[in-house]
Formats: sequence, C-alpha cells, structure tokens
Amino acid sequence: MPIAAIEALVLLLTHSPSSTISETLDLLATHTAHLKKSISNPIGLSAGTDLFQRYLITTLQRPGQLGPAGDFNAIRAHLLSNGRLFIQRAKESRHKIAAFGRDFVRDGSTILTNGGSRVVSALLQKAADEKSGPSAVRFRIIYVFPFVNGDGENSPIEPEGIETVRALRARGVPVATIPESAVAYSLGKADMVIVGAEGVVENGGIVSRMGTYQIGLLAKAMGKPFYVVAESHKFVRLYPLGQYDLPIDQRVIDFKTEEDIATETVQPVNESGGNPRSSVELNLVPEERKSADRSSLNGDSGENARAVRHDVVDFTPPHLISALITESGVLTPSAVSEELIKIWF
Amino acid sequence: MANSTQTEVIPAPTNSAPVAVAESMPVQEPESKPLPQQQQQKQQKQQKQQQRQQRQQTPQSSGDPKKMNGEVKLGKVEVVTEDAVIPPSGPEKLTNAEIKKKAKAEKAARRAKERQEKEKAAAALGAQPSPQPTKKGQSGGGKDSGSTQKGQKHGAAGPGAPLRPGSASATDVKKREDKNVAVFGHLYGHPRRSTIAGAGKEIHPAVLALGLQIRDYVICGSNARCVATLLAFKRVIESYTTPLGTSLTRHLTTHLSHQITYLSTCRPLSISQGNAIRALKLSISSIDPSVPEVTSKSTLCDFIDCFIREKITVADQVIASSAAQKIQDGDVIVTFAGSSIVNQTLLTAHKQNKKFRVSIIDSRPLFEGKNLARSLANAGLEVQYSLIHGISHAIKDATKVFLGAHAMTGNGRLYSRVGTALVAMSAKERSGGIEIPVIVCCETVKFTDRVALDSIVVNEIADADELVTSQPPQQVTGLPDSDSPSKEATPGSKTSNSNVTDAFASLSLSRSSISPLRNWRDTPNLQLLNIMYDVTPAEYVDMVITEMGSLPPSAVPVVHRMSTNS
Repeated sequence: MPIAAIEALVLLLTHSPSSTISETLDLLATHTAHLKKSISNPIGLSAGTDLFQRYLITTLQRPGQLGPAGDFNAIRAHLLSNGRLFIQRAKESRHKIAAFGRDFVRDGSTILTNGGSRVVSALLQKAADEKSGPSAVRFRIIYVFPFVNGDGENSPIEPEGIETVRALRARGVPVATIPESAVAYSLGKADMVIVGAEGVVENGGIVSRMGTYQIGLLAKAMGKPFYVVAESHKFVRLYPLGQYDLPIDQRVIDFKTEEDIATETVQPVNESGGNPRSSVELNLVPEERKSADRSSLNGDSGENARAVRHDVVDFTPPHLISALITESGVLTPSAVSEELIKIWF
Repeated sequence: MANSTQTEVIPAPTNSAPVAVAESMPVQEPESKPLPQQQQQKQQKQQKQQQRQQRQQTPQSSGDPKKMNGEVKLGKVEVVTEDAVIPPSGPEKLTNAEIKKKAKAEKAARRAKERQEKEKAAAALGAQPSPQPTKKGQSGGGKDSGSTQKGQKHGAAGPGAPLRPGSASATDVKKREDKNVAVFGHLYGHPRRSTIAGAGKEIHPAVLALGLQIRDYVICGSNARCVATLLAFKRVIESYTTPLGTSLTRHLTTHLSHQITYLSTCRPLSISQGNAIRALKLSISSIDPSVPEVTSKSTLCDFIDCFIREKITVADQVIASSAAQKIQDGDVIVTFAGSSIVNQTLLTAHKQNKKFRVSIIDSRPLFEGKNLARSLANAGLEVQYSLIHGISHAIKDATKVFLGAHAMTGNGRLYSRVGTALVAMSAKERSGGIEIPVIVCCETVKFTDRVALDSIVVNEIADADELVTSQPPQQVTGLPDSDSPSKEATPGSKTSNSNVTDAFASLSLSRSSISPLRNWRDTPNLQLLNIMYDVTPAEYVDMVITEMGSLPPSAVPVVHRMSTNS
C-alpha cells in the first residue's frame, strides 16, 4: 500500500502543472489527506506518503542545482525520476528481504505464519526454491487462517494467503492450515513464527492484521522466536502505546443488546435514509471503491458489515518481537527507531 | 556501651540552644539597609525564619522576653565588633561579608560549646576519647584539627582574602563525615555553599544571587536552573569587558568558568546546565577574534536567547502538544513531583477540552508536587494529591503515567527526582490489569551520553537536615504562619513549603525542635540519607517524548548524537 500511495503521488506530480515548491508541497498535502481519508486504515498508506513528502523536502533543502535556488523544472524532473527509482527499489526490496530471511528457515524446521503478506510469501518460496528443483531445504509450514470453523480452504470466501499455500504446496512444501483458535495448540510443534506487517512503528512494534498480537504473545510464552518481515518503506511515524492507541477507528469490540441488533437489521433497508452512522459509511464506500483499483483493497467491507472484517489490525509491542527482517538488514526492534530517525532527520 | 554514654550527653546541648538563637538574631540589623533585590529577599526569608524560630524558642527556653532581649543585645555587640574589623568595600559585599561573619561566629561558638561538652563527657568517662561513634575511622582528633583550621581562617577572613569555596562551613564537613551513609560515601563532596561570602570578586552579582537561589531550591528543576543560568550568564557577558592584552574568545571562557565553579559549589550542576554551558562555550570559542567586542557580545547574547527559545521554550510547546495527544477522555494521569513540562502538557490537554483526572504523587522533603497541584487545580482540572507512600492506591485506577526528567542517560534510563523509579515500576508491575504506559517528557537538552547503571554511582546528596522537620506537627494549628501559604494540598503539609527555611532552621536550631530526629547528628548508629535522584531502568519507560518526536528509550543515544552534532 505505501508503494501504491507513492506511485499515485508521483503520477500526480507528473500530471499536475505546479511551478513552485510550496505549490507542489501544498498539492501533495491535500492529496495525501484525501488518500488517507478515503480508506479506513491509513497506517500503511501514511508510511508511504510521509516518506515521499520527507524525501521531497530533503531534496529541496539540499543546496546546489536541485536546491531552492535551482531551476524548478529541473527539480521537478529530478523528483519524478527519483520517485520512479524509489518505487522500483521498493519493489525490488522484497527479493532482498527474501534473500536475507531465507537463512532463518532451517532444514527440518516448522514455521508458523499467518496473513497474506507478499513478503512472507516471497521469503518462504525463496527458501523452498533454493538450488531449484524440489525443495532443498526441507521445512514445514503451519498456516493460520482467520476462520474459526473448518480449515479455511473450504470456506466460501477465499482467505488471504491461500495462493501462498497453493504455491508452496506446488513446490513440495508440506503445509498445514489451522484456524486461529488452534494457534496455542499448534505452536508446540512450530520452531519459529514469521509474520508480515502492515506498518512498523517507531518503538519497533508492528501494526499487523488482527490476530498477530495473540500469536506474538503465545510465541513469547512458549519461547519461540517471532520474526517480522517488512520492507523499510513500511516504517511509519507512529507511536502507539497499546492496542487502543492506534489512529484508526475499528469497531472490533462492539457491545450490543438484543435491541441494538434489531435496529441494526433494519438499517440496511433504509441505508439511503438519514441515520448519521450509516451516512458516514456511505461517504466511505465510493471513495474506497476508487482507491480499490490502485491498492487491491477489499472493497466490499461496507456492504458486508456482518462478516468479520478483513482489514482490522492489531498492534504487537516490540518486546514480543525477536527481530525484524528488512532489506537493510535484520534489525532488533530498538534499531527501528534509529532507522526512522535516520530517515526523518 | 557507646550508646549508653551518648544518652547521657544528649540533654546537655539544650543549655546552649538559647545562646545559639541569640547569636543568630543580629542578622536582622543590616537588613534595614537598602540591598540588591535578591539578597534582600533572601535575608527577609532568613529573618522571618528566625522570627519564627524565636517564637518557637520562647516557650522552650525561658518564656521570659527580657531575658531574650538581653541575649539579643549581647549577641549584637559581639557581632558588631567583628564587623568593625572588616573594611567596607561596597554595600553589597559588606552585607554578604557580614552575614557570613555572623554565621561563622555563630557556628564557631556553637561548635566550641559542643566540643567542650563532648570533652567534658569524654573526660568524665575517662576511657573514651570521642563521644561520637567513630565510623570509618574518624576520630575526635580529626575534628579538633578541623575546627582549629577553621578558627584560623575565621581570623584571616576579610574581603581582600577570599576563602576557598566550601571552607565557610567547615563545621558541616566535620559533622557530616561522621554521618555519611557508607554506600553513598563518594557523593559527599563539599557541603553546599551557604553564603556568598568567600566567592571570588570576579563572580558577577547576578551569578552570586543565582547560586543562592539554586542552593535554596528557590530555582528548582532542571529546566528552570538551565534557563536561569543562561540568563545570568547573559548578564555576565553584557557587563563583560575584555582586559587588555587578551582576546574575548580566550578570556571570556575562563571568566565564565569562574562563575560556573561558583555555581557548582552552591549545588552540583544539572545535566541541562552542563549541556547549555557546553553549547555556550562552543559558541564563544567559535567567535572570530578579529570581530569587535560589542558585536561578539551581542552575538553571544543572541545565541543565549536563541538557545533558550529553541531548546527549552519552543521545545516545551512541541512536547506539550504532542504529549497532550496521548491523553484521551477518561484517562487518569499519574505524575510524580512537579515537572514544568508535565504541567504544560496537562494544561494543554485541558485546553483541548479533554476530560481526564490527574493524580499527583509527591514526596518529602521538597514537595514539588504542590505547585503542580495548585496550578492544575486553578486551571480547573480534577486533581488528587497524595504522597509517595500512597502510591499503590494512586496507581490503582491510573491509565497513564507522565513523568518529567532530570536527564536521560545514554543507556536509555531515566534520571529523575528520587521516587520516580518507584512510580514507574509500580505502574508497570501493577498486578491485575493491563500495563500502564509510562511516558517521559524530556527536552533533548537533558540528554546525556553518560551511562547510569544504578542510582548509586552518579547522584546528588542534599543536606540531610532537610529531612528533619524543624516544626512539630502541632505547630500547624498553633502559631500564625506568615510564610507558608500552601493550602491547596493535604492538610498537615503547611510546614513544608519553604525548604530553605526548614533547612536553615534545622541547621541552627536542630536541637531545640521537637522532631525525634532533631539530634540525629549526636545519635549513635543513626544516619540520614537525603538523596536527590534515582534511575529508572529503560524497560520501565515506554516512551520518551522530545521535541524531535516520540522515541523509545533505546533511541536516546542516537538522538543525543544528532542533536549535539547539528
């Protein structure tokens, strides 16, 4: 998602006829705000937009031809080319991470993972692919799917990560799929936990799909290493103090009485009516659709209110994380803030 | 065995108490003269205190006002003769010298008396050379030599012959040596300077006054001390002229280091002061010698203003606004002692119409939380005030802990007012319930690359007499209290507002107050420890809010490196 955001901003800069620095920054700010408003969880997005904005400002502040004194058109061309370069690098980082991370996958180990992270998937496939041919490193995977009933594969909606499971199985890696309720049960058989992240926050914790926190807690309790795989463009300037300190409003815990449920069922009928809560959701829906083309967002969350939402996240505090595997190396959680400070100052 | 002999000795000093009072009385006399403002305030404070002591004293000693008056006169005469020896060098110096003289005379007399009594007691016993328990191998002989040394200095003292810092209160050294807590033995250096006498003539009056204010906790808190120091130095620089044959760059640094040395004898410098001074010196040394003096002086003054604005004033605003974002409706904020930045944070959050409660935890002997409580309560916040022994109750319904800092060390630990670690740890270790986040608000000027593993190696020891309450609890309802206006907090806390006066009182009157600890110096096996700071391990701190953003404690050294390099 951060890449998508940056791509969008670069496109915006290409097509908009701004001629001064402040105009450019202004334009960026308004459109960033617009982007953030249009999706329910802007954490990952803000990582990308903030990074881009920061990069822009540091480029502009640098003395020389491209500095404030230089020709603006040159600056703009430079920015755009660099922006594209940045995107390209960001996309390549996934392979870099896979190269770093595959050494963590040892022969005969069992790995527990969850979610639909493409980096995790790339890492695991890289490990399986090593030396090409049938998997040279023999390892097994326990894949956690967020469905309580059954093993996920047969449920009506395809869960995230099912493609990864298929790809791994095709490569000869034995994969077991378990529901989230079986994590504690299965963790005894696992040697390590590898998860992806939506955003890496300043204290080294991660914001990730719902359920990661409890896996982290269980892994800590059982003494299993808990690795996070994330590109460094997911580092976000955010410092949550706990689960409820995230800057997003996700109605996970929703207390209801029988009466509330009764009004709830009526609501979809008069959705076009004047209920304040539904009007907020109405505002969200079209914009979400708009951004859906870009970022493959699960756009039907507005309609599918009763189902468990796919994009809810939780926060895993840094003390549960053994290491973060990024393209700039394997970092301890405390090193994240150092990296962030390097980027930001 | 030593104990039994000691108990016999204790009652004796009460005889000498009235005399001690009488000797301290004449300080009132020179106060009628016009004085520089700061010193006048200070003296008025002392005067008030002494008046109070006198009131206190009266029922105990004799209850006879005539007798008291007689003693006063006697004391006056004695001091006046001493004053006559000193050639006046200026109204200010003279008064300082006078005060110092009197204090010395008073101490000398008292000590002589004590010594006599002790010797008497020792002689009566025959076998024991020193009535005091000899800890760490210090004997009565050492004391004697110390006092004779002091006596010599006393004779030679005059404005022309400035004393070495610290020598003015040799009595204290002697006493404290017996009473040092062994573990913290390395922290007892020179006792804090109690007068401005003996300060070198190159010390600027603004710095002289500041030193005493800092010593007496009139200016207290890392930020306040830092700002006050910088402002005083600004005045030093403004009134500075480069002597012939030297350059400003070279000479001003040494001139300033005299001021700094003086300040550090009043109270050890805080980390923020140290950092500010370092920055100032750096800016002095980077001045081009060819630049005219007026220009370079104004450059330096601008630098100081800029430093205060950037590193403290604006930094505080940034911190307060970002820390206030962390406060949500319904929060119960626990804070310890009185941090200016926490105060600002809470007020900012209150202005944003957030509904939250504040629970202030405070401790003896400084009671810094009272000012915070008053400030917050005046602003309309809901404030609960309790002392540190009520911590388990205060922490029970807390949702967040906000702490101020004296310094953040290189290993991410928080060095702050003693008791902070207890609050942070109670918040983290609270049983039954989720952890409470501990948030530290700290400007980067307070960051240091020093590493603190415990609170023993690096710390500051204050005068142990501050722990001895000079006024008994029943005094609260008794005499009218002229200078303790603190009514906002818990009842029964009236006595503690002015630690200055408390400390002063216990110095001159410790044996006449009713506190059971009043004779702690003469009580064997009793040591008082008045430690100033403690160190909170990094794992008990969740977040450090600085003007450069929010950090985990582990990022402190990185930020420190960056803020000092740039």
